[in-house]
Amino acid sequence: MTAALQTSAAAGFDGVKLAIMQKRFDGVTRKMANTLLRTARSGVINTARDFSCALVTADCELLTAADSYPIHVIGGADLMARAMLDLHPELQPGDAFLHNSPYHGNSHAADHTILVPVFDDDGVHRFTVLAKAHQADCGNSLPTTYMGLARDVYAEGALIFPAVKVQTGYRDVADIINMCLMRIRVPDQWRGDYLAMVGAARIGEREITRMGRELGWDTLSAHARDWFDLSERRMIEVIGQMRSGKARATCVHDPLPGAPADGIPATADVIVDSEGGRISVDMTDNIDCVPVGVNLSHACARTAALVGVLNSLPTPVIPNAGTLRRIDVTLRENCCVGIPRHPVSTSVATTNLGDRVTNAVQRALAQIDPNVGMAEGGAGLPPAAGVISGADPRNGHAFINEVILAAGGGPGTPVQDGWLSLFCMGNAGMPFYDSIEIDEMLHPMLVERRSIAQDSEGAGAFRGAPGIRTEFRPVDCDFELGFVSDGTVNPAQGVCGGLPSLSARQFLESDGGEITPLGTAEQIRVRADQKVVSLSNGGGGYGDPTTRDPERVRVDVAEGLVSRERAEAVYKVALTADLRVDAAATAALRAA
Amino acid sequence: MRLSIDVGGTFTDLVVDRLSGAAEVFKAPTTYPDPIDGILSAVALAANAQGITTEAFLGGVEVLFHSTTRAINAVITGQAARTALLATEGHPDILLIREGGRTDPFNYRIGYPAPYIPRALTFEIPGRILADGGERRTLDEAAVLRVIERLKEEKVEAVAVSLLWSIVNPAHELRVGELLAEHLPGVPFTLAHQLNPTVREYRRTSSCAIDASLKPIMSAYLRALKQRLGAHGMAGQIFAVTSQGGLVDVEELAERPILALNSGPSMAPVAGRYFAALQGATTAIVTDAGGTTYDVSLVRDGALPRTRETWLGPIYQGHLTGFPSVDVKSVGAGGGSIASVEGGLLRVGPESARSDPGPVCYGRGGTRPTVTDAAVVLGYIDPDFFLGGRMGLAVAAARAAIERDVAIPLGLGVEEAALAIIDLATESMVHAIEDITVKQGVDPEDAVMIGGGGAAGINAVLIARRLGCRSILFPDVGAALSAAGAMMSELTSEFSQVVFMRTGAFDAAAANAIIAGLKERAEAFFASAGGRARERRVDLAIEGRYPSQVWEIDVPIDEAMLAAEDAASRLVAAFHARHQELFGFRDDGDEVEIMGWRALARCRLADESAIRLPSGVDSAPTRSRTMTFRETGPIEAPAYRLEALDPSVTVKGPAVVESNFTTVVLAPGSEARKTAEGGLCVQPLVQSVTRLREFAA
Repeated sequence: MTAALQTSAAAGFDGVKLAIMQKRFDGVTRKMANTLLRTARSGVINTARDFSCALVTADCELLTAADSYPIHVIGGADLMARAMLDLHPELQPGDAFLHNSPYHGNSHAADHTILVPVFDDDGVHRFTVLAKAHQADCGNSLPTTYMGLARDVYAEGALIFPAVKVQTGYRDVADIINMCLMRIRVPDQWRGDYLAMVGAARIGEREITRMGRELGWDTLSAHARDWFDLSERRMIEVIGQMRSGKARATCVHDPLPGAPADGIPATADVIVDSEGGRISVDMTDNIDCVPVGVNLSHACARTAALVGVLNSLPTPVIPNAGTLRRIDVTLRENCCVGIPRHPVSTSVATTNLGDRVTNAVQRALAQIDPNVGMAEGGAGLPPAAGVISGADPRNGHAFINEVILAAGGGPGTPVQDGWLSLFCMGNAGMPFYDSIEIDEMLHPMLVERRSIAQDSEGAGAFRGAPGIRTEFRPVDCDFELGFVSDGTVNPAQGVCGGLPSLSARQFLESDGGEITPLGTAEQIRVRADQKVVSLSNGGGGYGDPTTRDPERVRVDVAEGLVSRERAEAVYKVALTADLRVDAAATAALRAA
Repeated sequence: MRLSIDVGGTFTDLVVDRLSGAAEVFKAPTTYPDPIDGILSAVALAANAQGITTEAFLGGVEVLFHSTTRAINAVITGQAARTALLATEGHPDILLIREGGRTDPFNYRIGYPAPYIPRALTFEIPGRILADGGERRTLDEAAVLRVIERLKEEKVEAVAVSLLWSIVNPAHELRVGELLAEHLPGVPFTLAHQLNPTVREYRRTSSCAIDASLKPIMSAYLRALKQRLGAHGMAGQIFAVTSQGGLVDVEELAERPILALNSGPSMAPVAGRYFAALQGATTAIVTDAGGTTYDVSLVRDGALPRTRETWLGPIYQGHLTGFPSVDVKSVGAGGGSIASVEGGLLRVGPESARSDPGPVCYGRGGTRPTVTDAAVVLGYIDPDFFLGGRMGLAVAAARAAIERDVAIPLGLGVEEAALAIIDLATESMVHAIEDITVKQGVDPEDAVMIGGGGAAGINAVLIARRLGCRSILFPDVGAALSAAGAMMSELTSEFSQVVFMRTGAFDAAAANAIIAGLKERAEAFFASAGGRARERRVDLAIEGRYPSQVWEIDVPIDEAMLAAEDAASRLVAAFHARHQELFGFRDDGDEVEIMGWRALARCRLADESAIRLPSGVDSAPTRSRTMTFRETGPIEAPAYRLEALDPSVTVKGPAVVESNFTTVVLAPGSEARKTAEGGLCVQPLVQSVTRLREFAA
């Protein structure tokens, strides 16, 4: 039982009532998520779980995003619901909206979102439910959902739906569906995913309607107000546990053709006001939008900064509109980590540069207070998380899907080593990693290796997670592969004395032994006689590695994550021949 | 005479069925480290009750059913065998990388879980089978032999062998098994494709690893159980309860000990289904409220709930058993769950006072208030008659603990604080039940709730009201629900085959051949059970999905469907209906992909006779005491003895109904009546809408 209840007398809340009601709201989004996972057609949704469900009030305030990817909804669900209201002042029960416009609050074009306004029995709009899922394809000009090198939205090519009505009276607007079927690759798969998303949103609508009829709609609305106030109060307390101060940190995305040659920096200026119970993040001192696909959408820029703060707190809080009142994020128009103007491309907004923003905020907070913050998480979207496409020689069918074999490792924190299957900061380790058998069954591919890369972790008192080496190849065909691997030039940095992880690397290796190096962002053809080798980026370390508990180092060596040589050279821990800590030798090493 | 023994964390429950229509329940403390001592204590109690020796008692036993938490405890406490994993070359980290997933997105203070078998004991085996069963690379037997030498050096006690695609072509796994048997004699091993023939290498490997690691300890335990009971004159056959809610001969359990992992809780729905049927209900919410956890399951249309996803430990942080089992959901909210206030926030559980030291009111050294203490403070539990009067309760200490740890920090009165504890526990329990009902499209209003376990009665009425359940049944043997369930269970074994088939290209001959093969294996299983097997049944099902979905759903089928001219379209129609039922929509335009075929063989060892306690002669007078309810505040209310209740009389809340092992609280507005079978049937009556509106006002 994990419910947290606030004292009634002291704060003026009925904590029992609030906790019970909030559990029921959280339950609504969990029911939506279950439907989406179990019924979707594309691997990126039904295997990797690249989707989120959220619920906002009629005023577009985020009430719950239980079990959602942070980058999907924390700072964007409200913007999307607002866009729906602005564009459709006359909402009706039975309406549903398809929304993927990064210029209207969505994350990026590949994230299709279904919004359903929920009405009470008097026809008053009370809540809006959102079901958002990363599509296997969104009709881009190339077969990938991450157009890292697109110079603008036209080069991306995806259909953009700014909260477009896709159902009226609970029936599809066939024109919209037909447009998608003509533009999106493997249209039957998209249609199946669409059914799953609408199914999930309608289940959310049904559940809230049931609650409203049972408890009274005004009670539900009053709950939201009280819950926000309670959450805000809690956030003030948590910030009160932190040191006040200000710091600046910069995290640099690898260079891309068409963007600055030394990479794309994301600089965060962070201020903690412990007494005032407020944290502010200023992202305005950054360069303008760049003519490539990694610019952040408004939603992603705001969310990435918020996620950096939420990850760093000394005590975890529940993110909702009340909590977020205490975090100020300042963004600038036409900034690559700010608010882009149409037609700037934001095709890769959810991962790469977004993670750089989050990482910068985490490091800045660690500089202000060494008991909070985190190191940098491993960079996302290596070839092992790329989009493969082609024709399956086993049945002649076209296929396209993002595989999730491996991606970034988690950062060290003030109290814990990094989480291995992080994927990226924005997804917070929530994606499922593909089953090798399922991938080999669904696609003409063979995964020859997926294993930990020794000595790839960012060393620290609490180390980052190690990187993963993945090797995969087409079977009896060629296939196309698209990816935007960050972390090759700029691996995940450590903080407070922690060290960076090993850089990401990627290349093709033919059966004849010929090596073809790969750049950061590529769309390539992989021949039947070649395999893709992808070394993903581990996480950065937190704190000086020579202060790491020798016992933890011993376990890492015994388990093959760290070599004896590295244990001695970097962690200054000596082990005996039978792998026990040599305390005297370790003390001598550490004293030197 | 039949016996059923359920060895739990706190108590060892024994149900004796004398085949004369009367059953008896006994409870003895579970003993550590050797639980067989506790079993013999319970047996001695039962023998004593019959006035005979243990030897004479056991000599009259025809069949013994046994469930135990031993396997799961071995896993949790790290006492399983030193086990090695042999995995396909290139894939040594299946148990480390797992399938990803994470809860609490902003809490990076939770450590990443260690693999079930350490990397240091994981060895890569060269050789590769492809998805279509073809061999891309032959098995390198010399390399296997080198690994076996390493296993000797490492002194491993068990070996798990799990190679990619062994489910479609087991040749490599079988050969590795032969080499192990020959070169590493005496060390037990498990081959993944034989144990759990399912696609997805993590799940299969995880079940294989857990199974292998349990083989030494469970073989030894089962051998000792047979020997020691045999030494005391027991001659009957011993059947072990499985996580699948069935029974297997103990010999088979030693071969596949993972079957026993969750054996105790799996029996609660078996018993619940039986008692619900007595009330004419086919849909039942079965609850089992113990000291540490609250276990819930849903019997739907008379069928036991099943799942392929069972976690040992927290989701994404524990280990997936990868094994189908009865779907019993546990939440850390039992009678022993501890209430505390942190930063102005009330919490109840998952931390538990367990049996040692137990709740404050037990007076055995517990200092932190629990749900049971709240029930004592509210006057629900009779301090002088707990466990039939065998334990007096320390009310003042319970009250002081709630006041200190909950009431003062929250600025509430003690009774109010106790009510808040009960309310929060109730909400967690409701949430657990909603997960298995509403989430599956089942309206709790259509279900009867079965209250099992010693702590069930405290808030069952409140839970039922929140859910809209119209009736709650407390069976007379409810306090030993699992042990009673084993008495009613069937001997089962499941056979499955992974064969991919599209309904658009349906091969009727192949389908019928698969089913015929599965049925043949089922018949062989029945034969092994001997002449006792009766009511033999084989339940057939397909695991199917729409094209490019990856989560299959189980769809029951029958042979008539397959024999029909339009077999494919009948299968598709059945699939559409099931998809609609589970997820609220169907895709009429689409075909179905069949991933697997299953046959569940079931038979009975005895009639599903009523397990019931003899009607009591206890005529203890009804007493009354002060109880506190949210609706009334403190009020003088009656406490009835269940044994003494007249089935023709309806009793009304506020009141409690007590028996030796449990107390049922009747909140104001509810009413209850003793059933013809000796249980208690409660009507919560006040529905959730009203109550919650008042509450929310």
